[in-house]
Amino acid sequence: MSTPTQTETTPQSTFARLRDLWNDYLPYWFMAPMVAVMVMITFFPGAYDLYLSLIAEPTLDVFAADFVGLRNFETAFTRGGAIHSFVITITVVVSALLLETILGFVLAALVAGVGSGRAKSFYRVLFIIPMAVAPVSLATIGRIMLNSEIGIIPYVINTGTPFAAPNFLSEIPLLTVILLDAWNWTPFMFIIFYAGLSSVPKTLIEASRVDGAPMWRRYVHVIIPYMKPVVFVATLIRLIDLFRTFGVVYGLTGGGPGTATQLVSINIYEQMFINNQITVAAAIAVVYLVLVVALCNVIIAKVGFEGVWD
Amino acid sequence: MATTDSDSATASQRLDKDTRETIVTVVRHTILLTWSFIVLFPLYWLASMSLKPPGTANSLPPDWIFLPTVYNYIQLIQDSGFVAAFANSLVMVSASVVLVLLIGVPAAYVLSRYDIPMERDVLVWILSSRMLPPIAVVLPFFIIFRELNLFDTRVGMVLMYVSINLSLVVWVMKAFFDGIPETLEEAARVDGATQFQGFRKVVLPAAKPGIFSVAIISFIFAWIELLFGLVLTSFEAVPVTLFVYSFIGSRSIEWGMLAAASTAMIVPVVIFLIAVNKYLAAGLSFGVVIKE
Repeated sequence: MSTPTQTETTPQSTFARLRDLWNDYLPYWFMAPMVAVMVMITFFPGAYDLYLSLIAEPTLDVFAADFVGLRNFETAFTRGGAIHSFVITITVVVSALLLETILGFVLAALVAGVGSGRAKSFYRVLFIIPMAVAPVSLATIGRIMLNSEIGIIPYVINTGTPFAAPNFLSEIPLLTVILLDAWNWTPFMFIIFYAGLSSVPKTLIEASRVDGAPMWRRYVHVIIPYMKPVVFVATLIRLIDLFRTFGVVYGLTGGGPGTATQLVSINIYEQMFINNQITVAAAIAVVYLVLVVALCNVIIAKVGFEGVWD
Repeated sequence: MATTDSDSATASQRLDKDTRETIVTVVRHTILLTWSFIVLFPLYWLASMSLKPPGTANSLPPDWIFLPTVYNYIQLIQDSGFVAAFANSLVMVSASVVLVLLIGVPAAYVLSRYDIPMERDVLVWILSSRMLPPIAVVLPFFIIFRELNLFDTRVGMVLMYVSINLSLVVWVMKAFFDGIPETLEEAARVDGATQFQGFRKVVLPAAKPGIFSVAIISFIFAWIELLFGLVLTSFEAVPVTLFVYSFIGSRSIEWGMLAAASTAMIVPVVIFLIAVNKYLAAGLSFGVVIKE
């Protein structure tokens, strides 16, 4: 007698139980997909790069792999141009970061001081536009405007000034890359700094104005210290992204002439797909991953995202 | 100017102050207009080149005045490869944005509302996925995608685009949820709503502007990505960035079409950027700026 009642109630109670399971463990269900994806995109590539960097030949059978110790690292750093590409990358990252931070802050301060609200929002919207330019389009702009035969910029320099235009892509390729990146991403610094400047309490600025402090002292002693967290976060995010630079250099110079603009990312790409040295590419990738992640984590541990943790 | 001593002193002082302010204003706008020119001129140049009739696109001295033509754009639209790549990008990037929101927004909600053990470490771990240079990540995925038959598929590209934006979505949405008072859901709970209903019917609508802007910023980041397309596709799932690049790579460059394709990629992004202008700073700095 009891059996039919049980079978009758089971579907409903299963549904109810599932619903309870859903509601009781909601935080777990909500976190699970994110954690799964994060594990896939953070642990897997690093581990696989490390594995590839230690073997002779990529093979389908993981256990049949021929481990060769640090030979791939040796190849990378003796004949693979890894040291050169690290030096080039650090040069580009540091110069572009400095240039973009200073330029972005100056522009933000100048716009923040504009009297008319309409002019202010005009500049603000206008100045963010270069961020819409994809690396491929930026490389196109560079190729078109800097080309020594058809480029408008060499033409203007040659006809309008007493100087002869340099060949931007072959004589000063690294500087060209830095300047193009600054054009593309100074807007990022500008918009973050502008938001930061707008958040400085008016009373703080008024107080220092009443005290008769000149403008530069207001910045050095009041505004910049107040904005330190914003400046820190903006430069950290930009630092992280600068290490990703690939498309614009790939499209603009392809790493050349020679290896003049061979950033680490270009070097890894070439080892992989042009020299077909997948294991050497993996060795450079391991070093790059470790360096970038360690650097960023040291900075975060030292300074921290103030105001984010509670 | 010879009036009484005290008068002239204050007058000249005021004049000094006024002239100083005028000079400051003039210098300020000179610099800002110079930067405006630096920002606009390359874009103007690219767009004007795309509108010049074939043969005159790269003549020097440049034709400053010309009759614009849409010839290059018509060529581009008739190029089935370009249209296919453009459609590919549109589909793959949109799908990745939907997916990344489905995964990231609920997780951000939990990170905002619950006491997660080692929350700080979890957040840094999430951000660390952004620190990994894509070139170092793409090699393992290249090999595994070939094993799993994901190479050159739209599904594979969607997954990679999700990986670019997940940290952004989680960080920005966590900051956004932090700003929404918890009393809203508590009230719903008192009215008999379950936790999930409270999230879906009360919190999500309140977070709509944040979701909207983070969706657009994610769209842009995936839209401009080149490397994953370069390594993980060959024919079927080619994104538009890769297609435009093939114009640069070819030996004889068709400048007009290259300019037209590049312009076509920039215009929608400019419109999007201006649309989310208000939330842009928070989005780009992973939500940190609103917390100030």
